Amino acid sequence: MTTEAVRAGAGPAPREDRAEAAVRAFFSAYGAHDVERMVDLCADGAGFRYVPFEVWGRQRVLHGEGKVGTVGKLIWTTLIDAFPDLTNAVTSLRADEHGNVVAQVSVRGTQARPFGIISAVGGHFELPHLFLFHVTGDGLIDDIVAYWDNVDWKRQLRCLEVD
Amino acid sequence: MSARSLAEEFLGCLQAGEVDEILGLMTPEATVSLVPLNRHGPMAAEGAAYLRELARSFPDLVVRVRRLFVTGGDTAVAEITIDGTQADDFLAVINTEKHFDLDQAWLLKVTPDDRISDVTAYWDQNQLYRRLGVKRLDQVTITAG
Repeated sequence: MTTEAVRAGAGPAPREDRAEAAVRAFFSAYGAHDVERMVDLCADGAGFRYVPFEVWGRQRVLHGEGKVGTVGKLIWTTLIDAFPDLTNAVTSLRADEHGNVVAQVSVRGTQARPFGIISAVGGHFELPHLFLFHVTGDGLIDDIVAYWDNVDWKRQLRCLEVD
Repeated sequence: MSARSLAEEFLGCLQAGEVDEILGLMTPEATVSLVPLNRHGPMAAEGAAYLRELARSFPDLVVRVRRLFVTGGDTAVAEITIDGTQADDFLAVINTEKHFDLDQAWLLKVTPDDRISDVTAYWDQNQLYRRLGVKRLDQVTITAG
């Protein structure tokens, strides 16, 4: 766990505040393209589910679901590689007293390399996301879920294939 | 009634296709944002139109709540999975009687007098198209069998 994670997560502040601080630190690291720090802000074995992330092959469907340290880290790294100017803006952030956090976030970027079936034609996107987190009492993120609309995303990047 | 109870009632009505009952849970000026559809406006117009089309197209709709929590005492956050079998055209997708399931997240803002004043919903429309057999985003009325 990083020093920042300790600062974000420890202390006498209400759990809502600590959970919000952990999530803000996460998006700050994401904006800085610091994937290692993003992972450090999460608990070992933290869950990860990017709901719209599905890759349909001939034999099976790969889902963007697993652990932060494996699937999450890979997807974040690949996204940042494909969209080198990837940024995020948190438009709302709310937490409850049990460590649940909901964040509405606008994610933007310009495509430099292919991502999945989306060829790189230099398209730019700006896309609303909804993130759901759970943060432990120690201030570590132990679950991340995200929603966005791939139709909107693909249309902005000039890809019209469903699969 | 708590925001959580109100959200549970909302989701129960969603499953039952009870759109008028849903509107009865709202303030008269309640607003809705159906983010993937880029529909934003009054719940009584934009929201009701979407919900009536959903109910007509998927009369066997099942809503399964994956996660439900309340932030700030006034905003319920529900993560759900809906599934059903298409029985009519839906959002321009021709009915081929396919079964679909779709994960969604709904935010319901509740007033102090227990009415929903704002609804925001997120899902991936691409997943819906895929499950209903659509192949191209510029040809959503053409589906594969």
